[in-house]
Amino acid sequence: MGAWKEFSKGLWSENPIFRIVLGMCPTLAVTTSASNGIGMGLATTFVLVASNVVISAVRHLIPKKIRIPAFIVTIATFVTIVDLAMNGYFHALHKSLGLFIPLIVVNCIILGRAEAFASKNSVVLSFFDGLGMGLGFTLSLGILGSIRELFGNGSIFGVVIFGKSYLPLLLMILPPGAFIVLGILLGLMNQFELKMAARQGRLPIIKREHNCATCVLHKNWFVSSGD
Amino acid sequence: MVEEEKRKKKEDVGPRFLVSSSPHVHDRVRINKIMMLVVIALAPAALLSIYLFGLPAFKVIVISIASAVFFEWASRRLMKRSNTIGDYSAVVTGLLLALNLPSTAPWWLVVVGNLFAIVIAKQIYGGLGYNPFNPALVGRVVLLISFPVQMTAHWVMPSRWGTNAVTTATPLGKAKESLLSLGHIDVHLTRTDVVNLLIGNRAGCIGEVSVVLLLAGGLFLIYKRVISWHIPVAFIGTVWVMTDIFHMIDPTRYADPSFHVITGGLFLGAFFMATDYVTSPITHKGMIIFGVGCGVLTVIIRLFGAYPEGVSFAILLMNALTPLIDRATNPVVFGSRKKKAAG
Amino acid sequence: MKEILRLTLILTAIAAISAGVLAFVSSKTENPIKQALRAEKMVAVSNVLPSFDNEPDKDTLSVVTEDGERELFYIGKKNGKVVGAAFEVIAPDGYSGPIDIMVGVDTAGVVTGVEILKYLETPGLGAKVATKEFRGQFKGKSIKNPDDWHVMKDGGIFRQITGATISSRAVTKAIARGLEFFDKHRAVVIGEGKIGSSGKGG
Repeated sequence: MGAWKEFSKGLWSENPIFRIVLGMCPTLAVTTSASNGIGMGLATTFVLVASNVVISAVRHLIPKKIRIPAFIVTIATFVTIVDLAMNGYFHALHKSLGLFIPLIVVNCIILGRAEAFASKNSVVLSFFDGLGMGLGFTLSLGILGSIRELFGNGSIFGVVIFGKSYLPLLLMILPPGAFIVLGILLGLMNQFELKMAARQGRLPIIKREHNCATCVLHKNWFVSSGD
Repeated sequence: MVEEEKRKKKEDVGPRFLVSSSPHVHDRVRINKIMMLVVIALAPAALLSIYLFGLPAFKVIVISIASAVFFEWASRRLMKRSNTIGDYSAVVTGLLLALNLPSTAPWWLVVVGNLFAIVIAKQIYGGLGYNPFNPALVGRVVLLISFPVQMTAHWVMPSRWGTNAVTTATPLGKAKESLLSLGHIDVHLTRTDVVNLLIGNRAGCIGEVSVVLLLAGGLFLIYKRVISWHIPVAFIGTVWVMTDIFHMIDPTRYADPSFHVITGGLFLGAFFMATDYVTSPITHKGMIIFGVGCGVLTVIIRLFGAYPEGVSFAILLMNALTPLIDRATNPVVFGSRKKKAAG
Repeated sequence: MKEILRLTLILTAIAAISAGVLAFVSSKTENPIKQALRAEKMVAVSNVLPSFDNEPDKDTLSVVTEDGERELFYIGKKNGKVVGAAFEVIAPDGYSGPIDIMVGVDTAGVVTGVEILKYLETPGLGAKVATKEFRGQFKGKSIKNPDDWHVMKDGGIFRQITGATISSRAVTKAIARGLEFFDKHRAVVIGEGKIGSSGKGG
């Protein structure tokens, strides 16, 4: 029961990309196609689950003062394993992800889960936490990659969708496309969330007309412009 | 009950005393009037282009304005916001984008460009006044990056109505290509070349070819106080000075300043797009910084970048810096003392 | 002092364990990685060579160029007879950087295939040098008429990519240079193979 809760939060309510907005480097850089996004997501999931389990298992043995270097060494070990295994067994994918495989080490999600969850919870819960977060990450990267590949190349997973006469919108598979698609998806998800919340009576219905007086940034502006 | 009423009263009063951002003092001049003046200022250059490039240019302009207005209307409606097509800002965006396209642009290219300009660059941010980047330029750059062949490979010489169009490269494109393939530029401007460049008898975007008419339109806007001289003068001046320095260093690799100033989209960009109120600094000092920045970036891109022309990229990059420039050049509030810079 | 020692020991232990794990994984993946790298090269080589039944990546021959560099030829054989050779050329003057090209020729020096291995060209423009439409043009051509080896814009026979003349020109020039070099050393490359005592180059 607790395990299901820890697993499912990564998919929606605490989705690392669309909710917490972590791990932006791989998110923006490698989602040029659906298979790149899924490949990156699965590699990260493996590292996340493995490091969560190991760190949780030895959490009582590691002194607080050196926990961060200990976590990083653990994470780096698993990343190197993934790097070597992918190079040997999924060579084409390894080639297209390139530098971003070793860079999984510095993905905030992994150290974040180690520090915030695995170092405080049992092995089983940490396993499901890592699995949920990893799959949430994979799913998000897959969606982002599919949209970018669809418009930027006319295909999804290499399967041509738009036919030969479609001229691809190259912007989508170039860096700006990542920002634009991510931004629009974040906006749509917030819109959806607000609507759901309003329907369930959790929040007042948001005023439609937007101006300076109703702006939520307004209060913050007063505080920050005081200096 | 008394408490309740008091609270209510407080709420009633509240919003009236909220301080909103500038402008605080309003004039009778409305956005739609300013936008109409911009259209009038652009009209001569646009009409000449229709004469020079013929029906295709006319088609691009009409499709562009129509699709810009449509996207403005549709996106406002979809987001359940008030209708704003009456302020004519979409007309100006559509016209400016059309003037930034080659006359050979197919209709779908124009529509996609306006989709990005109006919906992505403007309405998603909240509409006119909230957009950090110039919408027309965003549309142009999206097209330039996504469809390089349609945007850069099919330039035609002005052919008037009816005569067959001759494909050629833009002057800046020729300079870049010869520099990359031969190691030196072979642009030697004769007097007739300069005259041709000035009156618009050359390949290029629909609206950028006639420097004289663009200058006239710009001066009209300055005379009407729609724009001030600071950004255009700083922008064009910087391009002149910088290219002059490089030309003196190595004339075989860098063309002379007059070539750089009268080719490309410099006049169109400096007078009509860098001066966009929403995306350029408020103070005159800020405008000068903005103009110089645009000039420096334009020259760097033209001389050392992968693209032959850099005006659009330069203005967009400086758009991103506008909030910082505004912060740095904000006038001191009356009555308060200037803080001494620490250490 | 005591605590520092304890922390050091723990960290050292963690590092040692992970080093051990990595050493194990590395030894297990060494061969698959080697094979994957070889398969990658073989795909390019077999795409450009006429059909062969030997292992061209082991049957190599290196020739020293004028500027002292070694040019590696992958020799393709069928039934022990040389059928062609594949070699890499680099176009240094691509639009955004060097372009690596694999060229295959038969014994007469006629191009049997061209593959683009690596490039940084602009997507949608110069990147089209990797398309079949462009690189397919070179198949069946040889360097007999050096004047043909230009893009059409420069008076040659190869259609340049619209809007990417520089990239097309760079690739055409590089292939022509490679063919010239092969022509010059044809006897050595083919002849050595005939005797069957190909030098183990590289």
